[in-house]
Amino acid sequence: MRSAHLLCAALSWPLLAAHVLAAPAPAPLPAEHISIEPLPPRSPHWVYVYDDVFDYETDARVYLFDGDRYRRLGQISGGFYSSISLSPDGATTAVAATYFARGSHGTRTDVVEFTDNRTLAVTHEIILPSKRAMTGPSLFNVAYSADAHFLYAAYMTPAASFGVLDPAAGKVLGEIDTAGCVLVIPSGHYRVSSLCESGRLLTVTLDAQGHETARAMSEPFFDADKDPLFVQGIATSNGNLFLTFLGEVRDIDFSAAQPVFAPPWSLVEPAEKGHWRPGAYQVGAIHKELGRLYVPMHEGGEGTHKDGGTEIWVYDLASHRRLARWPLKVHGLSRVIAVQVSQDPAPLLFAATETSDLAVFDALSGRLRHIQKQVAASPWILLNP
Amino acid sequence: MRTLDQLFERSTRSLAQCTSRRSLLAALGQLLTGAALLPLLPVDRASRAHAAEGKPRPDSPDSCEYWKYCAIDGFLCSCCGGTSASCPPGTAASPISWIGTCHNSGDGRDYIVSYNDCCGKSTCGTCDCTRNEGEKPVYRPSRNNDLNWCMANADVNYHCTVSVILGVAEK
Repeated sequence: MRSAHLLCAALSWPLLAAHVLAAPAPAPLPAEHISIEPLPPRSPHWVYVYDDVFDYETDARVYLFDGDRYRRLGQISGGFYSSISLSPDGATTAVAATYFARGSHGTRTDVVEFTDNRTLAVTHEIILPSKRAMTGPSLFNVAYSADAHFLYAAYMTPAASFGVLDPAAGKVLGEIDTAGCVLVIPSGHYRVSSLCESGRLLTVTLDAQGHETARAMSEPFFDADKDPLFVQGIATSNGNLFLTFLGEVRDIDFSAAQPVFAPPWSLVEPAEKGHWRPGAYQVGAIHKELGRLYVPMHEGGEGTHKDGGTEIWVYDLASHRRLARWPLKVHGLSRVIAVQVSQDPAPLLFAATETSDLAVFDALSGRLRHIQKQVAASPWILLNP
Repeated sequence: MRTLDQLFERSTRSLAQCTSRRSLLAALGQLLTGAALLPLLPVDRASRAHAAEGKPRPDSPDSCEYWKYCAIDGFLCSCCGGTSASCPPGTAASPISWIGTCHNSGDGRDYIVSYNDCCGKSTCGTCDCTRNEGEKPVYRPSRNNDLNWCMANADVNYHCTVSVILGVAEK
């Protein structure tokens, strides 16, 4: 056979040579002009992937990822141990970060940088006092008021307080002491609630200038010794929902002057309690219109609260009924450490894994649409507009 | 089939030319003796598995399974130029810390362990170790390992974490 090929090639060579000589040369490629790629129109299927880059933590960043086209659209710089918040209209990303004058060391600057999400360019910044809370990812390290009039930044030195910022004017308005309670859970005009070791919520009310006008402490709603509450709350249509280490649900209505606690319910059946539990860095996501809750769940005991989920369990928030269990290993996925769901009628569920992949599911059926390998180094929290 | 027969015949002849009956018997003897001894040897299968993967033994301070690390979350300073209780050269120890209660199976006691961060250089980046026995969220800072405990240092950059025995835990 090989001889036959050689013979054929030898016989056809003159024909090929004649053809090449006779064919006109292709037109040269046109000259190119360097440009900046514009972002496409905003999509509900975009997701902002916070990458802590734990191995090189002074270089955290946020990737903007398109869940329909499965490609990265751009990047926002993150500095050291940063926290992020999207403005209520989704037009701005606020990144609270720390920078060092000489990269890895030198004078510390704590700052909030604002990025225009239509261009991914930084528009302005607010220099913070060197008190910024450098802690694990949550929606409540830095958070906007509902009307974007204020931005609240959690401080920890380790004495706890928070800064009240004016994002439009680009300045710090003041600092509110929180008596040992931590983080900033915003609600209304203008309330900030913080989680206390005693299992209570401290709610501070501010006037339009950012001055404290009132504060109140709730009754205890969790027990930090027996069943601690994850601080990674999930936004609902009227407040936030929190999970405990053992899978209890604390749904809090923040629409009134003081928080209102719905009767607790459980993610797990009595036989599952203590065996199956939620865990990792972003412990749930909610589609507000559909009233569906998605939670990465794993089998494990005490001390496994940062372990990722081997399954995603889906709940109906109205009935508290478990609708589905979606195993992840069948897709070749490692444990899921962060989840987010788009809020449109054809929602996507995004799931970041401990091996840094990003899975994109149909959030209604659980059908896997795509796995983006190595989407980031440490994808610890996912946000969407 | 004929081709196969010829192939095996040729390979058998080649083998015969380069080996003797005695060497075959010797090899078989070694194999049988080894197989007979194998179950009698006191083998630590767990450590063999680790050795095979190039991992340190669980009783080594370079291993994430080391008993003192029961509530740690960060890079082990013993892999970064320090030890389990000393910071690497050129860094600064954090004066504040979180604590854990860890059981030492070596002496059967529970110990209070202070987890201090070593600060002033960028992350060590090796021997990342996350264990969370008794770890609590940030509203209980003294038991929380998510915070950057370099927060009160002159240079707050986080490098690695040490595990310092404070004393025996009282029951």
